[in-house]
Amino acid sequence: MSNNRVSRRQFLGYTLTGVGGFMAAGMLMPMVRFAVDPVLQQKEGSDYVLTDQAVADITEEPVRVDFTYEQTDAWYKSEVTNSAWVYKDGDKLIALSPVCKHLGCTVNWAGSPDYPTQFFCPCHAGRYEKNGQNIPGTPPLGPLDEYQVKEQDGFVAIGAVRENTLV
Amino acid sequence: MHFIGKEIDQYLSQQDYIDTAVVPLLQLDLSENGMKSSAGASEYLQSLTAMLEKQFKGRILLLPPISYGKIANRQRIAAELLEELQHTKFKHIFYLTTDSEWRTIDSLKNVLWLPAIPMEDMDQSFKNSVMEDQLRQVLPLFTKEWSHHS
Repeated sequence: MSNNRVSRRQFLGYTLTGVGGFMAAGMLMPMVRFAVDPVLQQKEGSDYVLTDQAVADITEEPVRVDFTYEQTDAWYKSEVTNSAWVYKDGDKLIALSPVCKHLGCTVNWAGSPDYPTQFFCPCHAGRYEKNGQNIPGTPPLGPLDEYQVKEQDGFVAIGAVRENTLV
Repeated sequence: MHFIGKEIDQYLSQQDYIDTAVVPLLQLDLSENGMKSSAGASEYLQSLTAMLEKQFKGRILLLPPISYGKIANRQRIAAELLEELQHTKFKHIFYLTTDSEWRTIDSLKNVLWLPAIPMEDMDQSFKNSVMEDQLRQVLPLFTKEWSHHS
């Protein structure tokens, strides 16, 4: 102990460095926390909504699949039911949004007896191919939107809506 | 379209396409005994018209429900509505109601009278399927009217 004497000067130096270090850390930590905050933020809920439609029952013929999720408008929470037209293209699941790109009506598969293999909008007779491509000469100006879709425990799960990637 | 600011902008720019108005007519009964069925009828009518709007969003403008008391003079309400709707470019106007008294008023065309179904005890999925059935009865009336005059 006697060979390792700490002088008064050294002791004061260590003490002040230590205290100063704590103070600097106290200031820097929140700043760093602010800077990386977006990375740490947790996403609310899962992106995919599970439906009660079994994947095994899906054929090449589009069927309507309803799915419900909770939507928050400011302080008001409500259950929203949306639907999608789901079919198989080979082994790939495809889900199209039923919202007409013209003015937002709901389109139906084979909605018109004259066009049994197209989506039909009852409002202004807009039509789409099976892959969502709008048919020229009808009012819609773009293809139907597409949902991200995957199989979850044998059932269809529907995710975010995006622009049509099939056409 | 709903009767809200944002969608009215869209309506105003697309009046050629959105040529149908839907007016829900709703009787209020605030007496102790009548309140519950009146509220049920209101719930039914508003769910149905909201679903209708979702289906035909690009062709109909759904107005807020016209509410009136039991003793209201339907004839007068009809006249006032017609007067107001005269200023618009709608080619088709539908009135939806659960109030049977409208069946005797001849001045309004296309009054769809539907008996209210009490829904408060149904669970969500059953309610949806009941409302889908109701909607399926109403939709052809619209498409028929449109195909007749277009």
